[in-house]
Amino acid sequence: MDSVVDIFESSLNLEETHVKEGYNEGYADGLISGKQEGEQVGLKTGFEVGEELGFYRGCVDVWNSAIRVDPDFVSARIQKSIKQMDELLQKYPLSEPENESVSDIMDSLRLKFRAICASLNVKLEYNGYPRASDGGKIEF
Amino acid sequence: MNFADENFELRELQRIEGHADRVWSLAWKPGTGADGVPAVLASCSGDKTVRVWEQSPLTGSFQCKAVLEETHNRTVRSCAWSPSGKLLATASFDATTAIWEDVGGDFACVSTLEGHENEVKSVSWNASGSLLATCGRDKSVWIWEVLPHNEFDCVSVLQGHTQDVKMVQWHPTLDILFSCSYDNTIKIWAEDGDNDDWHCVQTLNESNSGHTSTVWALSFNATGDKMVSCSDDLTIKIWGSDIMRMQSGDGNAPWKHLSTLSGYHDRTIFSVHWSREGIIASGAADDAIRLFVESEDHLVDGPSYKLLLKKEKAHDMDVNAVQWSSMEENRRLASASDDGTVKIWELAASSGHRKPQL
Repeated sequence: MDSVVDIFESSLNLEETHVKEGYNEGYADGLISGKQEGEQVGLKTGFEVGEELGFYRGCVDVWNSAIRVDPDFVSARIQKSIKQMDELLQKYPLSEPENESVSDIMDSLRLKFRAICASLNVKLEYNGYPRASDGGKIEF
Repeated sequence: MNFADENFELRELQRIEGHADRVWSLAWKPGTGADGVPAVLASCSGDKTVRVWEQSPLTGSFQCKAVLEETHNRTVRSCAWSPSGKLLATASFDATTAIWEDVGGDFACVSTLEGHENEVKSVSWNASGSLLATCGRDKSVWIWEVLPHNEFDCVSVLQGHTQDVKMVQWHPTLDILFSCSYDNTIKIWAEDGDNDDWHCVQTLNESNSGHTSTVWALSFNATGDKMVSCSDDLTIKIWGSDIMRMQSGDGNAPWKHLSTLSGYHDRTIFSVHWSREGIIASGAADDAIRLFVESEDHLVDGPSYKLLLKKEKAHDMDVNAVQWSSMEENRRLASASDDGTVKIWELAASSGHRKPQL
């Protein structure tokens, strides 16, 4: 009896076997191409984030220098905002891209930047990031 | 106040022409229109200018006193006088808000507030004139502090609305800011303590019996414990809050829905304004102006309102703004329309008496 079942078993399970094989192949391929794609995305996103943070860092450093030279250069409120922006930049978890707070900190940075520029009456703009008004399209 | 026994009518006093494009908004200058001071009204338009009209003491008609031009290079969408009447703020589609000062009859632009990414839709001064708020299509609300020598500091940039913000309005007595938007909600913003930390303390949306489409405008009653809002959903809603709790700084004095006026409008309602006497005026896309008052028959669960009168064909096109004059004696209403005109109206009893008994 056992030998009869054995003979038919492989042909009965043919579909299941093929499905499994196909899945495993796809998984293995996906792992490779996914990793490649992930590397590309990570590189691009990392560059964008780095560039934007660097831009804000530069602005804050220049403003702080100006304040050191002439403390009356800006009002106390603006000084406080610059300090807050400095703290946000320090707080940004550069080595943890999956940290949930990254988008919140970046949003806060962008808002603070716009508010400080408006108060200083300077037309500084970081052209890299998407604005609230765009449909989310960035061009390179 | 008894509106029940008389029939009322809205009499057209004057049809003011002058703007070359649709008139978006109006603002009566505080401190004018009584005690011998002629009434002054500002109007802003798609023609990129703001016009200031003054009533002649002799003839009673409004004449153009000044044209504020060559500053904005796109539509001026909203204008607001500071509480002292010394400054006029104008918000434009060119993404800037200009501050004007009356210098001996001529208006000079003394400051320009930049920061919005695109069209600024509304501007509002707080009760003391120490703060200014703007909002726009970029979904943000900006709060500015008024400093000496016409300097303005940006206090906060508030994000929260998910669409175009149509109007901002400060509470009449407290430093609490209200905004309404294309995202169908009304948001309430307050400062946490005294350190520029503004955030949204409440959102009035569908789940609190809020509007189901764009909220275009809102207005407060004289005591500041009630608010009226109007919407593209064809309704006007009345909201209330415990003013004593608000005044004591209790952050937890929420606004609640009191009443919805539906079935009175069949086109979008663009503007509502609550007079000091308690009359709610609405301006809508059907070219009509409607007036509502609180009804004597109080329902168990809150106040109810009734239509006092409907002025059909108040304008030839959409009514964009209605604004009661702050001077109580006259019951004067100004309206602005897509037809490019501003009209001055007087509410009077049909029986011919100039001032009906209250």
